[in-house]
Amino acid sequence: MKKLLTIMLALLVAMSLFASGSQESSSAESGDDTIKIALIIENTIDDKGWCQAMHDGITQAMEMLPGKIEYNYSEKMAVVDAGSMARQYVAEGYDLIIAHGAQYKNTVLEMAEEYPDVSFAFGTSSEIGPDNVFTYMPESEETGYLNGIIAGTLTKNNIVGLVGPVDSGDSARYNRGYVLGVQSVNPDCKILVAHTGSFSDYVKSSEVAASQLANGADMMTGSSQQAIGALRATAESPVAMWVGQDLAQLTTPEGQAKCIAASAYNYAAVIVELVEKIESGVKGGECIPMNFNNGGFIFEFNPALEQEWVSPELKAKVEDQIAQFQAAPGVLSDWALVDYSTL
Amino acid sequence: MLAILTNMLSMCIPFSVALLLASIGEMFNQRAGVFNLGCEGVMAMGAFIGMLIPFAAGGGGAVSEWYNVLGFAAAAVLGALLGLFFGVVTITFRAPQGIAGIGLQMFGVGTAGTLFRHFVGGTQSIPGIPDIEIPLLSRIPFLGDVFFSHNAVAYLAYLFIPVAWYILFKTPWGLKVRAVGTNPRAADSMGINVSRTRYEALMLGGALAGLAGAYLSIAQAKMFSDTLISGRGFIAVALVYFGHWHPLQIMGGALLFTFAQTFQTQIQSMGISFPYELAVMLPYVLVIVVLSFTSRNQTTAPTSLGKPFNREMRT
Repeated sequence: MKKLLTIMLALLVAMSLFASGSQESSSAESGDDTIKIALIIENTIDDKGWCQAMHDGITQAMEMLPGKIEYNYSEKMAVVDAGSMARQYVAEGYDLIIAHGAQYKNTVLEMAEEYPDVSFAFGTSSEIGPDNVFTYMPESEETGYLNGIIAGTLTKNNIVGLVGPVDSGDSARYNRGYVLGVQSVNPDCKILVAHTGSFSDYVKSSEVAASQLANGADMMTGSSQQAIGALRATAESPVAMWVGQDLAQLTTPEGQAKCIAASAYNYAAVIVELVEKIESGVKGGECIPMNFNNGGFIFEFNPALEQEWVSPELKAKVEDQIAQFQAAPGVLSDWALVDYSTL
Repeated sequence: MLAILTNMLSMCIPFSVALLLASIGEMFNQRAGVFNLGCEGVMAMGAFIGMLIPFAAGGGGAVSEWYNVLGFAAAAVLGALLGLFFGVVTITFRAPQGIAGIGLQMFGVGTAGTLFRHFVGGTQSIPGIPDIEIPLLSRIPFLGDVFFSHNAVAYLAYLFIPVAWYILFKTPWGLKVRAVGTNPRAADSMGINVSRTRYEALMLGGALAGLAGAYLSIAQAKMFSDTLISGRGFIAVALVYFGHWHPLQIMGGALLFTFAQTFQTQIQSMGISFPYELAVMLPYVLVIVVLSFTSRNQTTAPTSLGKPFNREMRT
């Protein structure tokens, strides 16, 4: 009986492991000139944040380059599982394997050495990798800055809130850009900054937001996918509003009601660039920055709230700032100097 | 300063409810001698089914409060069934409780995530249940915000604490539970059906864990994702040790842990120069420190905790 039980438990564990990941594919007609792209992500393709942005970018690139891209993805890939998944993709002849997260760096570098004929990519990172590894780095301080201008202008209590995940990668850049944006229009504004310590703990994110709202914040933002929890908490407030790091937040009911503006990573441009480089024989060794200057970001106001909340002056200020970002990269090169303890 | 303190304390009650319900459920399990590490998985399933019912009824829009009630009821029933399943594995088949608990945790989290993707799709929110301001009492300065402005389930959860105490210490069934967790052989010789009592405790514990998960998805976060529980099931298990298997002390532990959470958030938001990584760790460090100092006092621990009972064998 114990043997039977052991087998049942083993099956149960195996089922659970199987259930915790999923794999889908969509493809163009395979041909000699088709680039096969595989995406490995920590969360899901519909997380209204980091992972969805890349998935949406690849599918948009497929529309921009009809018949050029064959695509497959694997969700909920822990770092320890990503290596075996990537090997499977290599065995299936994929040309480019994107491990979407800085946590996959060591796995990617190890795989790149083992399979020099395959291109790999990971981000966020500004490092220049080996000859078959691309990196990409969203310079998110630009989108954070725009949201900061809006928050600093619209706050009535002179208190704004920011719910971050961990202080690294593009979240750190977005958050510091937000602080700079608020200070640029409202130097006396109190900026409440707190981190949850997790990219995916929605409950803690909502708790942190609730705490900041209780302390008087009436304009809120958050970075990474955990921000959805903070947005949900903001929706409970009768007065507070939200500015978002991801346009996907506008598709939620609370985003429609509370999110005045949001930005998005235009990963489609990155994917198109990667495809072109691979076709021209470049397999890696480059970092692709993402900013307004190279079309790496999109920014939109929420049409449902624009008339009520966005004055012509505010809109002009935001558009003027976007024009400055488009004109030259690195406008906010001092973003890393922001020290939260001085706020 | 008083306003900051009021804000921090006013969040302790609503934010502690999920931990409180899950740890009281785990307390019943452990008092009966069964160590259920699968609490996290049961909470995940409760959170999923609890959210699914109001979501399916309203598509994410407003629904009758009865759908939320139905969500909580379904979560409790599903939790009880998972407790029953865990009982079959650990009581009838006498599988190692630690390993079986880890299996249940993985099964619950994985299944809830998979079913969520199938039936709902991506991260979705629901209106959930609103806070209720108790007339007159909620207007009392300080006390009104701290005690009388929360959602209905938070009030019910705290009202359940004395009920749990009464069940455990003042009813014949509670005596049976404590007996089978302390000395099952003596209990058996006194005519108590050890297996049946343990099954009943596991079902009650499972129902409470299911309710705890549903609280997170319906009353607190008002959404579901497969990372919603994020280790709270394991914290609930730790709180049982923290509270020495006593409902009132467990309640104190849940409140202390939640206060530490809100305190660390406050430290960060106030811009105090303190590494946020350490601030985030603060509640967990607190639990470890308190456990270290109190673990010597094991007089209240169920002495047969984690030991399968086989009436045919001498031990």
